[in-house]
Amino acid sequence: MFIRALSILGLVLLPLQIAAISRTGSSVLILLEPQLNPDDFSLFFNGLKLTTHNVPSFSHVILFAPTTKTLPQDLSPQAIVSLLSANPPVNFLIALSPTATQLSTLAAEFSLTLPPPNTPLISHFPPREGPRTTIPITIPVRPPYLPKLPPVLSPNLPPILFSGVPHYLGDNPLLVEILRAPPESYASDTESDKGGDTLVDAVEKGGEGLWAGSELGVVTGFQARSGARVTWAGGVDVFSDAFAKAEVAPGQKYGNERFVKDVAAWTFQESLNLRVDYATHYLHGDQNKTQRDRYTVNDQLVFTIHLSAFHPETGEWTPPRIDDLQLEFTMLDPHIRTALFPTHGVPGEFSVSFRAPDRHGVFKFVVDYRRKGFTSLYHSSTVSIVPPRHDEYPRFLSAAWPYYAGAISTSLGFLVFSVIYLGGEVDRTIKGKSKGTKAQ
Amino acid sequence: MIWQVPRELPRFANKYAHRNPLLLSAVGLVNAKLGLKSPKYSLLSHDGSVIKAEALDLASAPSETLTAGTSDTLKLSFTVIDDESTDDQGVQPHQAFLRFWQEGGVEGIQPVKVSSSGKAKFELNVRRPPPGIPATTHGAILNVDLILGSFTYVSSTVPLFKLRLPPSLPVAPHPEEVIYHPKPAIYHTFKSEQRTPPPTISLVFVVIALSPWVLLFSLLSKLPIHIAPSSATAPFIALLVAFEGLIVWYWVDLRLGQVLTYGAVLAVFTAAAGKRALASI
Repeated sequence: MFIRALSILGLVLLPLQIAAISRTGSSVLILLEPQLNPDDFSLFFNGLKLTTHNVPSFSHVILFAPTTKTLPQDLSPQAIVSLLSANPPVNFLIALSPTATQLSTLAAEFSLTLPPPNTPLISHFPPREGPRTTIPITIPVRPPYLPKLPPVLSPNLPPILFSGVPHYLGDNPLLVEILRAPPESYASDTESDKGGDTLVDAVEKGGEGLWAGSELGVVTGFQARSGARVTWAGGVDVFSDAFAKAEVAPGQKYGNERFVKDVAAWTFQESLNLRVDYATHYLHGDQNKTQRDRYTVNDQLVFTIHLSAFHPETGEWTPPRIDDLQLEFTMLDPHIRTALFPTHGVPGEFSVSFRAPDRHGVFKFVVDYRRKGFTSLYHSSTVSIVPPRHDEYPRFLSAAWPYYAGAISTSLGFLVFSVIYLGGEVDRTIKGKSKGTKAQ
Repeated sequence: MIWQVPRELPRFANKYAHRNPLLLSAVGLVNAKLGLKSPKYSLLSHDGSVIKAEALDLASAPSETLTAGTSDTLKLSFTVIDDESTDDQGVQPHQAFLRFWQEGGVEGIQPVKVSSSGKAKFELNVRRPPPGIPATTHGAILNVDLILGSFTYVSSTVPLFKLRLPPSLPVAPHPEEVIYHPKPAIYHTFKSEQRTPPPTISLVFVVIALSPWVLLFSLLSKLPIHIAPSSATAPFIALLVAFEGLIVWYWVDLRLGQVLTYGAVLAVFTAAAGKRALASI
């Protein structure tokens, strides 16, 4: 029924098995609208393809239907949202266009603000011949004093050729910026210098607003709370063969081929994918490292967690390169929050030793690691912290020495008395009255 | 395969024309470059008096750092011209944007209206700033560039000056933003250790507690008695010593159950020995 609905709309369905192994599965559904020729995207699809297989359910969907006004029922915006929240979730790679479609309104739900319909991104820079809507984007070098962006793209990418619509990114922390527009670019539908006045009027009160500058994104990802990833690309041409083969300088091609590979790797959960292998806790100094369900107040506890990151090329789980892992020891609110340090000699393992608070109760070891672009990690284990037992209090205190002396004196005194009473004899050297009688 | 694009003025007859990739070539661009004529700025205070008014020297720009206070107004005027035409004719470009930016930081774009003769005026009233001015923190310096873009002329970016504005209201981040960064460490404040008096005081009192022994032994030595060992009483005394040892052992190490067991065994022997000892007196 699904396939019949698609064929009615003339959409081409290409189920593929992808080459780079993904953690969540390797079946991809590609939806192309009839105006687009699959051969135009052969470089991108061949980068994904391993074998052709007819598989009923898919882990990832590539939606290249930028000008289709309505989508089939199974891929309507509501269906897309429910697939993103499904278990296991389905990842999407969606291409937009200046035409207003259902997908444009869906993008707004992901905190992306698109410009009015039919206003593509144009840039007069770098001065070049050719349509202004085809823009080479150079990824700026990020100053080292700023916090690093999530490493979705490979480093040192050549300029990327783009054509499509920009969007403003909201302040939603689930958004992952992948590619921003160049600072001189802006969205406009006019095609001659006379149309410049509309841009100024747009900023006035009551105007539509101006989509301009490097605050605009052109390819942006979204990591949902369910773990699904959606990437919104402003245009479908950035994935095409023609753009990948174009040359920025004689002998040097644009970076589109590697760029789309990185974008697909991130979207299909191949890169920046973390998981918790195991976590234990034990008493400091315990040679057997037995995990207990209760500890005493003020005990020195050791918590260990082992993490892995998915390596897209080899398909294996390797030690991750993260350095800001934190542990919270929580009873309703975190009582202790401390950094987890990598263990020497065991890559991927992080541990910390800390003193249990002197409040008793039911606590949880919580590791809740959420960073932009990465999958979110969550681990919690519950322990009881109990007050000391009657015989676990400090003993042999220096303040009690007089009492020890007194008590021992009493015992020894009884011993001395017994010895004297039972064994003592009066000295016979006393002249006179008493003869051999025992002293009483 | 390299796509050649004709070098006349681009046309947008076909709505899919934007899919044609371009040949980037700096060689042979025949169109003239956009430039500025007589760029001037003036900084006015709230009552209209001029704090600073100068013509911008584009050759050395951006050398100036202008500081605008909360009630000041910055006015900028310039004429956009075709750099290579001899009569400095004014040109109306498609794009005349003022870009306020910090490296790696905020950015704001404000379009400037350019008349058909190329004249443009921009006014920044700090009390009522236009929407394109980004939020800045205290002391932050914005670079101000003018981006001139045109379909017919070669576009250019003209750096103008640096601007320091009063700090804006802080932009409130998304409430969940803090979860996606390392959070501050929390340390538990433990109850302070119980204070104990110094050991010297305890030793003094130990001496006081043990002082009756001195008295006892001095008085005992005055008594005319001596201890005569006897085989009848020795076992009892020995068992008593063992009992005391058991009590000390309980104090140091044993549990109640153990000490009661050992004590019961010892008690039987001690009772028997004690009976024998008493009988022998």
